[in-house]
Parts: sequence; C-alpha cells; structure tokens
Amino acid sequence: MKHTSLRCMILSMLLTGASVHAASGTLLRDESLRTQASATAAVSAQASKGTAVDILTRQGGWLQVKTSKSQGWVRLLSVRTGSGGAGGAGLGDVLGAATNQSNPSRVVAVAGVRGLNEEELKTAKFSPEELARLESSAVTREQASANANRVGLVVTNVPSLPKSQTRTEPTKSSWGDN
Amino acid sequence: MKLKLLVAAISLVSFSGMAGGFDLGKILQDQLKKSQSKSAPAQPTDSATSPQTSTPQNDKGAEAQALSFGLFGKYSTEDEIHIGKQIAGNLLGAVPMVRDEALQRYVNLVGNWVAAQSGRTDIPWRFGVLDTEDINAFAAPGGYVFVTKGLYRQLANEAELAGVLGHEIAHITKKHHLKVLKKSSLISALGQAASKQAKSSDQVVQNLIGNGAEIMARGLDKDAEFEADREGVVFAARAGYDPWGLPAVLQDLAALPAKDGRTSLLFKTHPQPADRLSKLGDAIGDRFDKLSGKELGDRFYRIR
Repeated sequence: MKHTSLRCMILSMLLTGASVHAASGTLLRDESLRTQASATAAVSAQASKGTAVDILTRQGGWLQVKTSKSQGWVRLLSVRTGSGGAGGAGLGDVLGAATNQSNPSRVVAVAGVRGLNEEELKTAKFSPEELARLESSAVTREQASANANRVGLVVTNVPSLPKSQTRTEPTKSSWGDN
Repeated sequence: MKLKLLVAAISLVSFSGMAGGFDLGKILQDQLKKSQSKSAPAQPTDSATSPQTSTPQNDKGAEAQALSFGLFGKYSTEDEIHIGKQIAGNLLGAVPMVRDEALQRYVNLVGNWVAAQSGRTDIPWRFGVLDTEDINAFAAPGGYVFVTKGLYRQLANEAELAGVLGHEIAHITKKHHLKVLKKSSLISALGQAASKQAKSSDQVVQNLIGNGAEIMARGLDKDAEFEADREGVVFAARAGYDPWGLPAVLQDLAALPAKDGRTSLLFKTHPQPADRLSKLGDAIGDRFDKLSGKELGDRFYRIR
C-alpha cells in the first residue's frame, strides 16, 4: 500500500508537470526523440517500440524521456508508464508479487483494499434512498455553465476524432472534419 | 428480416409451454401491427420516434414495450432514462454514495459542463462518487455517471476528472449499454413472459437488465471502450480542459500493479490501459498540438 501510493504520488506529480527523477516507461511505438516538446522541433534520435525509458518531465502532450543512448521529447501517448511490455509484468507486479496471492478469481488484498466484485453487483438491490441522494446533488446546465465561466473554461471547437489515424509525420492541417 | 425474427420468437414461445394467463402471441401481433401502421421504419434507431411509454398500471403495455426493445430495438428517451434509473439504483444498492455533499456537487458541476459539450441535452445528467476504494467508473443509460472514490483519489486535477467523466458520458451518448441490452433483451423478454414475473413496467425493465447491476460487471466490447476514449477526450477538450487528462489517468492505471484488487473489475471489463493509450495515440496523432486547455489543479476538490 505504501509503495503503491508513493508511486502514484510520484506519477501524479510527474503528470502534472512537476519535475521528478526517473519514473520508468516503455515506448508503445517507434518514435523520434525531439529537442523540444513540439512536433516541429528537430529530431535528435530515433527509438524503437519497446525501448525502456526514464521519464523526466511532462509538458502538455509531451514527455521528456531518457533512453540508454539519448534523451529527448516524445508524445505522451507514445509512452506506457511502468516497466515491462504492454500487459506484461511491470514494476507494479514486482511489488504485488510480494503479497503472495493464491486465488486470482477472488477479490484480493494486494494493496490492503478489496475491490468490487461481480457477485456484489449481481445481488445488488435497488436503493431508492441512495438514488434520492444522487438526485439531491444534481445541478442544472446553467449552474454548471456559470461555474465554468467563473474559472475561465472556454468552449473550444474540437472536431471528433477518427477511428484511427495512420501515423504520418505531422502535417499542419490535419484538423479535417472527418 | 424483422418479420423472420418475430416468427422465430413466436415459435420459441409456443415451445416454451406458456403456462397460461399470458397471451404473448397476441401482444406480439399487436406490436407487429402497431409497428406496421407506423410505416415500420427500416432503421428503428431514432429513439425519439418510439411509440407510447407504459405506466405501471398498464402491464400489457409494459410487456409489449419490453418486447419492442427486443424485437424492434426501439427506445424512447423516457425508456432510456427509466432503464438507466433502474441500473443506477441497483448499482447504488451495492455501493452507496460518498457522504460528502461538497464533493458530489463539485463532480456534478464539472460533469454537467462536460456533458453540455456532448450534444445530448434531452436527458438529465446525474453524477455521483461511489464509496468504494475500487478503481472504476460506470455509466448507465439516460445520463447516470459514477466514479468510485478509489479512482477519484488517483486524479491530480480537474482536467483528469473531466477526461474520466467524458469517457463515461460518451458511453451514454453512443448508447453503448442500450446496444448490449438490445442484443440480449429478446431472450429476457421472452423468459420473463414465460415465467409470468412481470408485474409492472419496473419489473419489465428489471428483467430486461438482468440481476442487480450485473450489466456493470459484464462490460462492453473493446471497440466501445476505445470509442468512448476518443469521444471522451474530445468532450473534455471542448469544455476547455487540457485534453491530456484522460491519457494521464490511463498512464497512472498502467503503472498500478496488475494484481491490485482495486482494479480487478476494471481490467476485466476494459482493454488494458496500454492498449487504450496506444489506440488513443493513433487517433489523436498531432490533432491536439494546438490545443491549450486548463488543468485546474488548484480548483480540484480533494477528498477528505
């Protein structure tokens, strides 16, 4: 538990842009390492999918990473945090393994906390009281809108994303309305 | 095609013994007539054009309606809210709301603002934080969205909350759960008719969605999750938030121990975070390069 929350805290700091030393990650695809957090910045090196990286800091949609050979900026979504390959054993598994667990189908207490299980959900009985509680916290769209204005949130025109985009080198006007 | 399905349904019923008192065949016929007289739309997907809604007093109407879910895939907005309310109430029977009114209100303010950018204004959006350390979030038709306290604790700022809520909002705007129900509802509608359990429209809906909040444990298909990721980040970005909120949360989840009990249901019902990040990366590419939304770390409501 201690380890987990500590790591989460480090990650949170990292992801909010605070500079932290070396969280680890893995490249999810072949990437160019750039000198700055921008698609137009010069490429300083290439790294292939699966390369282990240390994550130094985040800036917007970019992470500054360090490989065994070089250092540079890659897109946030090109990196999977934690060590190991996708779905494979990560740093977390190493910690988790310490708490020896025999029956994976049961709700377990690796982190000292048990999660929801299917049986609980299946046998759940309708709760009018809790539903009333949910209703009582509801707000109107006008209230939400006034609140958003107060903190300076501005509605932005963002087109829907296509199902997938073949990754090409950035073109300046890929904002098409799919 | 639809007719063939109907015929198959009728013959199924006739084999089921039909322990009296329930003229299902007639209901089916009525339903067919009704649908034909309404010039039987080829694509019965427009929820707004669904026929009458039932009342608890009108059991046969409720039956016919339940069957229309199965046979014709029709849902009015009212049906959708009714179904969602039942699922939400059942889920809340398993996990209560966190007793923190300021938190609940805050999440509703953020959620409604994001939902306002989703294009669906015909349903009342409701957001709640569930009192469990389990790390998960849920959506039910008709505008019901829940995030667990466990997941909420993982969040670092309001943009991340907006991203998570955006993903759930997208499940509702894309009617992902209704599509699952549509697939299974014929069987359950027939099953309930045969067992004569239906006493009211609530019962019909309950029978339609299965036991308790089972549908939440069943999950959706992977494509629905990937789609909700793509839509969710866009909703959050439209609302003026930093678009990297949801990806950042997925990064956090990817770093959690695979065997952490708090994520077992989440990972059972969702693709691996790494796959989601990868797919999202493919879809986003450089499209968000010029966006600069707000993270609002200061304004983020911290639990306890």
